[in-house]
Amino acid sequence: MRWLKIISNRFYNAFRKNAVEQELDEELRFHVEKQISQNIAEGMSPGEARRAAMLEFGGVEQFKEDCREVRGGHCLESLFADLRYGFRTLRKNPGFTIVSVATLALGIGANTAVFSMVNALLLHPYDFHNLDGLVRVWEDRGMDAGYDARYIAPADAEDLRGNNRVFEALATYSVQSFGFGTEGNLQPVLGCRVSANFFDVLGVHPAAGHLFSSSAEQPGSDQIAVVSHGFWKRRFGGNPQALNKTISLNGRVYNIVGIMPKDFDYPVPVELWVPLALTPAEKSDRGQLSLSALARLQPGISVSQARAALASFSGRLEQEYPKTNAGRTMTLLQLRKELYMFTLPLFLLLQAAAGFVLLLACANLANLVFARMIGRQREIALRAALGAGRGRLGQLFVAETLLFSLAAGFVAIAVSFASVRALRTSIPIEWTKWVPGWDGIQVDSTVLLFTILVAAGVGGFLGLGTMLHASRVALNKTLKETGTGTLTPAKRRVRSALVVAQVMLALMLLVCAGLTIQGFTRLANVYQGFEPASVLRVAISLSEKTYADTVKVTPFYEQLLRGTASLPGVQHVSLISNAPASNVDNEVTFFTIEGQAAVKTSEMPSADLQIASSDFFEGLKIPLASGRVFSEADNAGAARVAVISRGMAARFWPGADAVGRRVKLGSADSTEPWLTVIGVVGDVRQNWWNPLTRPVIYRPFAQSPQRSMTFLLRATSNPTQYVSAVREAVRQMDREIALSEINTLDEEIADSIAIVRIMGILMGIFGVVALALSSIGVYGMLSESVAQRTHEIGIRLALGANPRGLMRLILGQALRLTAIGLGIALPISFAIGRAMASLVFGVVSVDFAVLAGFSLLLLAVAVAAGYLPARRAMRVDPLISLRYE
Amino acid sequence: MSKPTDLVQGTLDLLILKTLALGPMHGWAIGQRIRQVSKDVLQVNQGALYPALHRLEQQGWISAEWGESDRRAKYYSLTKPGKKYLESEQANWERLSAAIGLVLKSA
Repeated sequence: MRWLKIISNRFYNAFRKNAVEQELDEELRFHVEKQISQNIAEGMSPGEARRAAMLEFGGVEQFKEDCREVRGGHCLESLFADLRYGFRTLRKNPGFTIVSVATLALGIGANTAVFSMVNALLLHPYDFHNLDGLVRVWEDRGMDAGYDARYIAPADAEDLRGNNRVFEALATYSVQSFGFGTEGNLQPVLGCRVSANFFDVLGVHPAAGHLFSSSAEQPGSDQIAVVSHGFWKRRFGGNPQALNKTISLNGRVYNIVGIMPKDFDYPVPVELWVPLALTPAEKSDRGQLSLSALARLQPGISVSQARAALASFSGRLEQEYPKTNAGRTMTLLQLRKELYMFTLPLFLLLQAAAGFVLLLACANLANLVFARMIGRQREIALRAALGAGRGRLGQLFVAETLLFSLAAGFVAIAVSFASVRALRTSIPIEWTKWVPGWDGIQVDSTVLLFTILVAAGVGGFLGLGTMLHASRVALNKTLKETGTGTLTPAKRRVRSALVVAQVMLALMLLVCAGLTIQGFTRLANVYQGFEPASVLRVAISLSEKTYADTVKVTPFYEQLLRGTASLPGVQHVSLISNAPASNVDNEVTFFTIEGQAAVKTSEMPSADLQIASSDFFEGLKIPLASGRVFSEADNAGAARVAVISRGMAARFWPGADAVGRRVKLGSADSTEPWLTVIGVVGDVRQNWWNPLTRPVIYRPFAQSPQRSMTFLLRATSNPTQYVSAVREAVRQMDREIALSEINTLDEEIADSIAIVRIMGILMGIFGVVALALSSIGVYGMLSESVAQRTHEIGIRLALGANPRGLMRLILGQALRLTAIGLGIALPISFAIGRAMASLVFGVVSVDFAVLAGFSLLLLAVAVAAGYLPARRAMRVDPLISLRYE
Repeated sequence: MSKPTDLVQGTLDLLILKTLALGPMHGWAIGQRIRQVSKDVLQVNQGALYPALHRLEQQGWISAEWGESDRRAKYYSLTKPGKKYLESEQANWERLSAAIGLVLKSA
C-alpha cells in the first residue's frame, strides 16, 4: 500500500507540477506569517517582526529547491523536457527528420511485413487447439533420402495405438481422389479417408451435423461422409438440407452426416472426409507404408521423449517382424514444423534479408546522426561545461533518437497494414490455397509489439552510440574552435571508419540479397530436363466400376491418343502417370537387380515408378542418353521392358551401360516379371522442393495400364485451343469420364512454385531497397566528406595546385576507403554465401560474378561520390571558397 | 561557536514522527513543539524541516492535507506504516543511546 502511495505521489509531482509549486509557496508563506505574528506577540513592531522572520527563515529559493529534490519526479520531468526539446530540434530540421524517419520506416516496415508472414505461416499455420501437442508420426526407412514420404504401415500404426504411453490418441488417414457424381456426370474430387478419431485428435468440431463415431471404421457401416464448407456451398448451394442427403463416390452411396467449418482444410484442401474402413487383410499389412498418421502428445510429454519412445517401440517391432520391419524407425515431427520443412529455410532467409535492410537503414541513420553531431559539438560542449553529466546528456540523445525511431515505427505500422493487405490481395488464390495460414497474415498484436520493440531498440541503440561519442568531446578544444566545418584528425578517422563500415555492410547485404534472388530465380527454373512450353495437360480418371478390368483401360487410352494425335497442329500426344510439377510425389517402388538380390527388405533399392506411353519422352523433349525409348511394339504381348533415368543408371550401374540389364519390381521372390532396360533418358526434376534427383523406372503404358493418367498434348502453338477437342474425344468414348486439372504445363509449374515466387518477389523488393539504401549511404558519406574539404580545395587551388592532380588525389582517397571496405567485406560475404548455401541446399551457391558485380557497383558509386562534389568545389572561385566557412 | 541546535543526522525524522504521533500538525507548529518540549535545546531550522517533511511524505510515512483553523494551512499526520516505522526507529534510538551512555559512563 505504501508503495502505491509513493508511486502516486511521484506521478502527482510529475504531472501536477504547477499545483506542487503553488502548494510549496503557500506552505512556506504560512510559516513566515505564523513567525511574524508570533514575533509581534512577543512585542516587535510589524516591520521589525517581518524582517526578523525573513532573516530567520533564510534563503527561500534554496529550501524550495531542496524540497523539490526530495519530492523526486524531476527525473520524469526532465525527460519530458528532453522530449519536448528533441521534438523541437527535429521539427527545425525537417529534411533530416523526414529522411531518417523514412529510412527507418523502410527498414522496420520490411521486418514487420516479413514477421507478419512468419507469424502467420510458421507460428500459427493452423487454428487447432494446442497445436504444439500435435505431431505427425511415420516410419523412416533410412534410405529414402530426398523423399517427402512420411507413411506408416497399417499394422504398425495399430500396434502403436494400443501400446504407448506418449500419445493421448493416434489417428490415421489417406488422401485420395474419388469419382463423385451420378452415372453420366462423374467428376473427380479430392477426399480423405480418415480413422474415426481423426477429428477428435485435431480437436475440431463440425459447423453442422456430427462427425464419425468409432463404429464408422467397421466395413459396412462406413458409408457416411463429412463434407467441406466449400463442397457444401458449391454442390448444395449452402442448403442446410444437405445433411442426410446422399452422394455417390466411386459408385458407392454415402450419407452426408456433417459439414466442416469454412477454414478447416487439414491435411490438404480436400472436399470431403470418409471413414477409413480397412479390411482385416489391409489392417494386418506390415509391408506397405500406406497410411499417414497424426497423434496428440500426452500432456507433459516432450517431442524428444516421444521420439525416444517411438525409437524403442520400433526396435521391438524390428525384433518381432524382422522380415518386414528391419531397418525401419518410427519418428515424429510437430505438425507446425512438418508443414514448412522445405520453406522454413526460405523464410529464415527472408527474415535475415529484412534484418539486413534494417541494419543498412540503421547504418545510414547512424551516419546522418553522426554528421549532425559534428555540427552540434559546440552545443554539447557547452552543456557539458554547464554541468550536464554524461547520463544527463545521454538521456537527451536517447530521447531524440527514440522520438524519431518511434515515429518511424508508427509510419512502418501504417505502411505494413497497407503492404500486408497488398500482399494478401495481389496474389491469386490459386497460389495461396495450398499455403496453410495464409489467410491469417495480418498485423496483429504480436506484430505490433514486434514493430514497437524493434523501433525502440533501434532508437535506444542509436542514442547510446551518440552518447558514447558525445562523452568523448574535448570541452576545451571544442569551445575554442571557431567554424564548424573543419575536421580534426580524430574526427576524420571516425568518418573514414564510418565510410569503410558502410561499404562493408552494403556489400554484404547486396551479396546476400543477390545470391538469394539468384537462388529464387534458379528455383523458379528448377523444372529442367524437359520443355514445358506449349504443352496441355489433362488429368483423366476412369471409374473403378466401368473399368474394373484393365483390359478395357488400354483401348480407351489408345483410342484417345489416336483421335487427338491427328488434330491439325498437334505434335505429340502422350500419357504419364505423374506429370512433372504436379506437387505430388511419384509412386515409390522397391526393386531387385538381376544377380544382386537383397537379403533383407530394408536393403532393397527403391526408385520412382512412372507409367509412360511411347511418345512421352519426345512429347516433353526429354533427351535420350542411350538405347531407345518405348515404341508401339512394346505392347502387352511383347517382352517386358523399362526405360530408366540417367541418375538411376549412374547409381546402380556406375561406369557401365545399363541397357540390357534386367530389374524386377519388388523382392527377388516376387511374381513380377523381369523388365529389360532398353534405354536411359535424362533426369527430370519432379517437384521443386526436392533438390535430389531420384532414380526413376519408366514402364510402357501398354504393359502396365492404370486407370488414372495424365494426358499431355504438345502443339505448335496455343495448346489450350485443343481443350474442347480433347473433351469431345473423351465424351465420344465414355460420357461419364471426368476430366480435371486442365491447364498448360507452364501454368502448372507457375502454380506449384507459388510460395517460392511470392518469396522471390519479396526478396527482389528487398534487393532493390538494399541497393538504393547502400548506394545512398555510401554516396552520402563520401560526398559529405569531400564537400567538407571545399575550404582546403580552395587553398590548394589558390596555391597553384593542378586541378587534375587534385581530382586524382580526392578520387584516390575515396576509392581507397571503398577498397578497404570491400577488402574486408569480400571474404566475409564469401563466408556468408557459403553458410547460406548450406542452409538452402541447391538454391543458393556462391557466385563470384555476384561478388565482383556488386564490388564494381560500389566502386562506381564511390567514384561518383568523390567526383561530383570535388568538381563542384573546384568550380568555385578560390576566393569564395577561402571565405567559405 | 558550537551549535547545540544541530541534530544528529537522521534524528530529525524521528522527532517529526514522534511529534506527529500526537495528532495532525502544520510545519510551523511541529518546529515550535519540538523547541518547547526540548526546552529550547533543539531548534529546528526551517531549511531542514520542510525538505524533511516533504521527504517523509514522499516515502509514505506521513501524509499531508490542507486544512483550515484560523487560515488555510498544510497539516501533516502520521500514516499507519509511519506509526510502525516510528516504533521501530524509536526502539533503535533507545538501544543506541543506551549503548552510548554505557560507553560514556564506563570511560
